[in-house]
Amino acid sequence: MAKKSLISEVKETQLAIELIQVGARLQVLESETSLSRERLLKLYKEVKGVSPPKGMLPFSADWFLTWMPNVHSSLFINTFRTITKHTECAGIEAVLKSYRLYQEFLVGNQIEEVLSFTRAWTLVRFFESRMLQTTACCKCGGNFVVHPNDLHTDYECGLCRMPSRAGKTKKAGMEASAMSASPAENTSRKLKQKKVA
Amino acid sequence: MNLDELMAEVREINLSYLMLAQQMVRQDKTMAAFRLGISQEVADLVGSLSPAQVLKLARSGMLLSRLRFEDDSILDMLANYTKGKSLAQSHAAILMAGQELTALA
Repeated sequence: MAKKSLISEVKETQLAIELIQVGARLQVLESETSLSRERLLKLYKEVKGVSPPKGMLPFSADWFLTWMPNVHSSLFINTFRTITKHTECAGIEAVLKSYRLYQEFLVGNQIEEVLSFTRAWTLVRFFESRMLQTTACCKCGGNFVVHPNDLHTDYECGLCRMPSRAGKTKKAGMEASAMSASPAENTSRKLKQKKVA
Repeated sequence: MNLDELMAEVREINLSYLMLAQQMVRQDKTMAAFRLGISQEVADLVGSLSPAQVLKLARSGMLLSRLRFEDDSILDMLANYTKGKSLAQSHAAILMAGQELTALA
């Protein structure tokens, strides 16, 4: 058996801790570090305080093509590509840093998280195995995640050509009405609702 | 604003820009490169500037930071969004994340 270097073990443990903190599943840790399963389990429990979730990782490539996930995964993959292309950062380190930047974007703009770290990691793997690719939108010129076997001539992204009901969730509607209605109107509406009730 | 005031403002902005950039580069080069829109070589260069060099650069009379809007689409998205704020910001972020970084020729 090859003798394990203590320093590399410490480094891997450090990486594993960071990955657990951003929400990586156990399978991600197993494939990115050479630490044993028992150690990773212990580490996970120590960092998170709970046992890791069981079951398979999300494996569908189609998920990344649905509207909202497509917006978020396109943002992530653009960040990841810029980082790997222009700096020496690569591999899991680059995934981690891109994910941190993605999280910062969410916090800065008060947008809810759609892409989990494990999904982001899966996305990069899908790109490596050419199960997904990006193509430029003919209107805005941005790069968006698409399926390699679809037709991409005159491709329009989900943001330039929005699906009719996209983003019109109950929550978004409530926020919009709260923003547009003046306070006085709001209270009168509430009163009406009360009367109806 | 007269010329002296203008030059003083430019110097001020250059100085804070360079100092912030240096701090970012020293903290995390990769993230700094992405945020500043510069390649790793340029980030290395900025990080290695001595205080005296920073002062000289700041006094050059030109603004050292420049706008990152290559065309009007990003500016338009951020300034007059029609689709809702978070969507416009996501869209602009995708375009900006995909932009080429400033690199040494």
